[in-house]
Amino acid sequence: MNIFFHELRANRKSLLIWCGIVILFNLVGFSKYSAFYENPELLSVLDGMPPALLSALDMNAFNLTTVTGFFGVMVIYFNLILSIAAVMWGSDIISKEERDKTVEFSLTLPITRASLMTAKIAAVIMNCIVLLLVTWGSTLIFAQRYQPDSKFYHFVSLTMLTLLLLQMIFMALGIFLGCVMKKHKQSSSMAVSILLVSYFISIITGLSKDLDFLKYITPFNYFDPAALLHESKLEPIFIVLSLVLIVVSITGAYLSYSKRDLYI
Amino acid sequence: MSMIETDHLTKYYGKSRGIMDVSLNVEEGEIFGFIGPNGAGKSTTIRLFLSLIYPTRGKALIFGKDCIQFGAEIRQRIGYLPSEVFYYEGMRVLDLLQYSASFYQKDCTQRLHELADLMELDLKRRIDDLSYGNKKKVGIVQGLLHQPDLIILDEPTSGLDPLMQQKFFNLIREENKRGATIFFSSHILGEVQRLCNRVAIIKEGKIIDIQDIKTLQKNNYKKIEITAEGLDEKRLCIDGVSNIQKMNGTISFFYKGDINAITQLVGAEKIKDLTIENLNLEEIFMHYYE
Repeated sequence: MNIFFHELRANRKSLLIWCGIVILFNLVGFSKYSAFYENPELLSVLDGMPPALLSALDMNAFNLTTVTGFFGVMVIYFNLILSIAAVMWGSDIISKEERDKTVEFSLTLPITRASLMTAKIAAVIMNCIVLLLVTWGSTLIFAQRYQPDSKFYHFVSLTMLTLLLLQMIFMALGIFLGCVMKKHKQSSSMAVSILLVSYFISIITGLSKDLDFLKYITPFNYFDPAALLHESKLEPIFIVLSLVLIVVSITGAYLSYSKRDLYI
Repeated sequence: MSMIETDHLTKYYGKSRGIMDVSLNVEEGEIFGFIGPNGAGKSTTIRLFLSLIYPTRGKALIFGKDCIQFGAEIRQRIGYLPSEVFYYEGMRVLDLLQYSASFYQKDCTQRLHELADLMELDLKRRIDDLSYGNKKKVGIVQGLLHQPDLIILDEPTSGLDPLMQQKFFNLIREENKRGATIFFSSHILGEVQRLCNRVAIIKEGKIIDIQDIKTLQKNNYKKIEITAEGLDEKRLCIDGVSNIQKMNGTISFFYKGDINAITQLVGAEKIKDLTIENLNLEEIFMHYYE
């Protein structure tokens, strides 16, 4: 328990910064929306833009003049922000002890490596949840002035669920890399690179039907906000796929970390 | 009972050598010295004891238990002072020490403050503001605050001024009297000589000798210096004599063997001065490494 609280304290600053980013993003996003709000002229402007660009920005599927539709576009950015935070926290939480050479302190305490990992992972999950709640809360607050309907609230709740899954996938990936990689200093840049590559794959996937198979590779495609809005449900196959990714990464991390030499 | 028992403990880092076939026993209540030059494998051995790294072959038992399988349980009773201490920056000294104390199944508060007073450690300062020597003091307090049964010290005195070193040695002796066993790794032989009962000498990953420190000095070489007119050093070249040197009429050499052989040889000479002394650990050590 003491490790858990220690990690929460140590990560406090980083959490605050990420919360600030999310709130700022929401603030800017919703103030931009005031230009679209009940303004049909903008729709004709959008109609004149190239379809590929609209698809890359995920603007096809949504009616941007409604607050629900506008939030649907913002979701892709939330996906990116929250998963970057998760992957960085994940890759850092274990490997930072080796990076800062504090392993000779923390792992000579009377605890097993597995229990140290569990406490640290719990702290990262806690951070992810706080960031998610801040995202949720600030979205609801900023959306208030546009009188959102019940469909909006439902859509936001579903989106938060998919965001949580996405956070957990990338957190698990980060933890796995932080535990496994020999060059622990590079684990977080590696983790962020993987994340960005999968993000770009997800954009490419949207451009052509022929690339549809790619959607299984990148978690960013698992939960399409447009489908989420229109069908109001998550596809079971992708829930299963997410859980498999999380479980495999975390198990791999535990196995590797308990068996390998620490780098001192 | 053996506090530490290793059996052909071997560690390779990939292909490069860490230690090879290290077998040693440290008995309860001993102050056991572990000496060798940089890179000989001292820290590797200690890290294996603490299961920070895992052996390639062989095993180590601490308190009679496998040091990997029962690692966490064993570490309840171990105090460890690494050669370089690194702590979480941004924490205050007291917070760090209390954090460390919270892992042990006993109340360490009183001992923590006693030790901090003794080492003249300011508990209110932040870790990142501390000098190297002061960080070391934090390490000493942190390693000893739970009154461990086995204290493992890896080059503990670097960074401490002579006064602090003295205090630290007294502290270690007191801990030893209380019943703690000490495993003391160092390349500073003077301090090992002052403190330890037995020593193991490690060279290029292998133990080359384990001896009682007194027998090591007694049964080994003597350093003899003779000043005598007309004494030819060639006459002294008998079995057991080595390192023979002549300077300003004084002949000095190392000798191992029956001391009477030497006294008979020089008995007829007109001796101005004669000293026979035990080698200090440093000279023995140098001898092992030549």
